[in-house]
Amino acid sequence: MSSPRELERDLAAALLGGSAEAVVAEIQGDGFDPAARVAIYRNHVFTTLTDALEAIYPVVVRLVDRRFFGYLADGFIREHPPAGPCLFEYGEALPDFLAEFPACRDLAYLRDVARLEWALNEALHAEDAVTLDPRWLAAVPPDEVGRLTLRLHPSFSLLESPWPIDRIWRANQPDADPDATVSLDEGGACLEVYRLDDRPVFRVIAPGAYAFRRALVDGRDLGSAVTAGRSADPTFDLTDALRELLDDGLIVGASACTPSATQGGLRCTPIQRPC
Amino acid sequence: MIARDVGIGLRAPHVAEVMATRPAVAFFEVHTENYLGGGPAVATLERLRRDAVISLHGVGLSLGGGDPLDRRHLSRIKSLVDRIQPALCSEHLAWSVGGGAYLNHLLPLPYDRPRLEETSRRIEQVQETLGRTILIENPARYLRFRHSPISEPEFLGELSRRTGCGILLDVNNVYVSSRNFDEDPLAYLHTIPVGAVGEVHLAGHTANEAAGRTILIDDHGSRVSESVWDLYRVTVDRFGTLPTLVEWDTNLPELAVLLAEAAQAERLSHPIRSSERHVVAA
Repeated sequence: MSSPRELERDLAAALLGGSAEAVVAEIQGDGFDPAARVAIYRNHVFTTLTDALEAIYPVVVRLVDRRFFGYLADGFIREHPPAGPCLFEYGEALPDFLAEFPACRDLAYLRDVARLEWALNEALHAEDAVTLDPRWLAAVPPDEVGRLTLRLHPSFSLLESPWPIDRIWRANQPDADPDATVSLDEGGACLEVYRLDDRPVFRVIAPGAYAFRRALVDGRDLGSAVTAGRSADPTFDLTDALRELLDDGLIVGASACTPSATQGGLRCTPIQRPC
Repeated sequence: MIARDVGIGLRAPHVAEVMATRPAVAFFEVHTENYLGGGPAVATLERLRRDAVISLHGVGLSLGGGDPLDRRHLSRIKSLVDRIQPALCSEHLAWSVGGGAYLNHLLPLPYDRPRLEETSRRIEQVQETLGRTILIENPARYLRFRHSPISEPEFLGELSRRTGCGILLDVNNVYVSSRNFDEDPLAYLHTIPVGAVGEVHLAGHTANEAAGRTILIDDHGSRVSESVWDLYRVTVDRFGTLPTLVEWDTNLPELAVLLAEAAQAERLSHPIRSSERHVVAA
């Protein structure tokens, strides 16, 4: 008889496609092959995890065909089983897995399309946060604005690709024109993804706004973010950029930061805590 | 505690219709793990709870497992329980985490003394964290281990006695597991202590023919079978009227079909007195 840990480890390994030999010896047949009993469980594990991945990656499923997706999901599940029980958090590693999957090598854009689907999934399930009242900005002295750091909504993320992934995604929606085509020569996309009115959305943004928002996401202050925006696009305008963020309700926190000998060189005071 | 009524398992495709029509069921049971993020799912559940009774049914705590209890998962459940204040809160007599991988299945454990002690400790830890007792459900089983000296109903009864947890008696699972091991489901029911059961589950199963024998699979993909309705009548006779849930997960039908199953359970959810039984028989 194996110890509790061994028994579970053996069954877990058998369920993820490994050998069932060790665990089969511990199972009572009851008139049925013990290995076939293990296979019932294994089938459930792979079927339900494949369903979970299909729900998160419908465009990838459509691009590679559902049966082929089942084949690659089988390999993915063996290599990257879920780390926790919330299946809406399962599948983050799929885009990189696709990039390395030999049979997908010709579909160079597939990884980035998958990254977009993952970002949409994350936006849907991200924590809630209360948008900062736009009036807070008026209370900040003009010479301190540059030292502000902004916290953007937890659902917000940025995505850049050399492929037209936004157009590929739209052309593969259930209600899309079936005759529409996308040329891979159309060029790449800078996208922002977030949750708007309970739905995950993405939008193409200009290079200046992209660089500005990237700097904010990285925790840099408004002054450095403006510099980043201007180096990507000399016509970048801070007032417009801030208004867009406020209009979309994407600012959920703001702090005024001053240089400090401790705390990593900066001491930040929240301007207004969202309640 | 919910009493004397029947609820339904609430799944994502039915949520909009349920929010719009508010069917008169005793309670709605949801899978805890689907509500541990932010966004519209949990916000909708919070709206529903304002005038409906909610039951949180977890599938991922791996209470019967040997890996350490996932503290982060438990603390997320705690936050949801605090936020939703469910009338019922349940988990399974099963494990699902092995070697760090979550296997998305309710896996069987051998029923022996060390596991009884370990599972009791884990249930106590969960109840202490949540500040309330929970219900533990018997899983559907397709295999059992050579070394498993305690029967499942005895094991559940002992867990309840030691920890104060209730038993969530899944009548369909009793039927499926018993048939898969050529055992008597009535003997199972009669081993479960009266008074320990806090909720009953009902669902459909499917029969698979393989290598000359039938294996029943608990797929929650059809109406409750006649044999399980019969067993439900026995359950009601033995344990009295209990909060009863009708679940449906795969091949999800129209909401109306699920509600019709709930109505059928409602008709059967009260014990028939022996005098009335004669009238029915006549």
